[in-house]
Amino acid sequence: MSKRRFIRSSILAVCSFIRESVLSDAYAAKKGLLQARDARFKLLIIFTLLLAVLFSKNIIFILSIYGLCLLFALASSINIAFFLKRTWIFMPLFSLFIALPALFDIFSPGQPLVSFRIFGLSLIITRQGLMSAIFFFVRVLTSVSLCVLLALTTRHYVLLKALRIFRVPQVFVMTLGMCYRYIYLFIEVVQNTYLAIRSRVEFVSSLKHGQGIVAGNIASLWQRSYVLQNQVYSAMLSRGYMAEPKTMDEFHMSIKDWIFLAMAILILVLVYGKNII
Amino acid sequence: MHIPDGYLGPATSGVMYAAMLPIWGLAARMVKETLNRRQVPLLAIAAAFSFLIMMFNVPIPGGTTGHAVGAVLAAILIGPWAACIAVSVALIVQALLFGDGGITAIGANCFNMAFIEVFAGYYIYKVISGSSAITSARRVIAAGIAGYAALNLAALTTAIMFGLQPLLQKTASGESLYCPYGLGVAIPAMLGEHLLIFGWVEAIVTALVVKYLQKQDARLLETLKEVRA
Repeated sequence: MSKRRFIRSSILAVCSFIRESVLSDAYAAKKGLLQARDARFKLLIIFTLLLAVLFSKNIIFILSIYGLCLLFALASSINIAFFLKRTWIFMPLFSLFIALPALFDIFSPGQPLVSFRIFGLSLIITRQGLMSAIFFFVRVLTSVSLCVLLALTTRHYVLLKALRIFRVPQVFVMTLGMCYRYIYLFIEVVQNTYLAIRSRVEFVSSLKHGQGIVAGNIASLWQRSYVLQNQVYSAMLSRGYMAEPKTMDEFHMSIKDWIFLAMAILILVLVYGKNII
Repeated sequence: MHIPDGYLGPATSGVMYAAMLPIWGLAARMVKETLNRRQVPLLAIAAAFSFLIMMFNVPIPGGTTGHAVGAVLAAILIGPWAACIAVSVALIVQALLFGDGGITAIGANCFNMAFIEVFAGYYIYKVISGSSAITSARRVIAAGIAGYAALNLAALTTAIMFGLQPLLQKTASGESLYCPYGLGVAIPAMLGEHLLIFGWVEAIVTALVVKYLQKQDARLLETLKEVRA
């Protein structure tokens, strides 16, 4: 295994981040059901549905919300294969892997469903274990799908501004907005640095050497970042910054936004109030 | 370490949001008092920096890689209150825009990484480094120990949250609704990997970055003095 692998994996992580961002932006710019919603309402709708999924004790209800996610994806011009890949790979599959031991009576004692032996070890899958694993996996999958829908159908900077409806302090909203822009600036710095290292470093002699390269990069990024703050502050002043941040409002609500929100709230009230779904 | 949606029940998620609200409020007030106007962009820059630290793959034994959280490093560089906001912002951006960590778990994730890890790491660093010179080796060791200990403390609180779920939320027939493992499984599993692997990654990154800055630009380790000036 190449000792330069960490350089390659860092470059791949950066490239993957940029690719995901470009794709998300392309989907957010399309015309579709969720793209047409006011970002503030969309955030509230998704958050309400997330709470409904979180509170629900009924697997059929959670699966229905997952079905709704797929319908929303289709109605929002999102390629369904892309959506499935984006929502299944990593977190739900990782959760499925985590949930597997919970199937067995060692972790979930209860009513036996299936028993078998592996390498002389007797294993029993219990009803409680199976249901716990299914609940866990389906809930994570549905929640991840809701979050991905939100991120794919909303321009990222608009989504961050929409946080104001939760009465998030202005310092947070301004920091979020600026942070988002800096991430893209810094990601370019990181990518260029790693490409430069890759083209100059033929062989990383030891773990210590590799770790030194990474730490040097992080420290150098902070040095550059720190220098940048003075330039940014001067730029802010030249644009009229008076120590009190102001954000422009670009939101447009419609009657459909209210209808969607009312439906989401109704679902949550039913789940919470009656605990039947 | 990033808890996704669905791992924690509504009670834990709600309590963690409630716990973080006064901390965020106090952090916003403290930062407004201590940060001078010129350093307003510093918070955003630090948040972006915290976000990106997690993209640096660090080589670890066995030919594989891991990444640091960088919360302790942020606390050493800009102070615990500003780091609390910066790491929270990074976690919110990750959850909302990139699906890393859940939206309903933002409170819990911020409690573990932007509060426990940041403050524990900062004060461990302060206690161990004492009044030593800014370029002393003691500060490098302090940064390493703070990174290792604080990450493991954060892993412990995360594990406790996971382990409480079967106790708090179960159906009448005994099915777990959220994380299915109790404290007896969650704590050893989470602490095991953090004590053996990720804690060391955090320690190495925190210590080496402090060492690098001591050599290249030691005034960056005294940002706090500058901020308060």
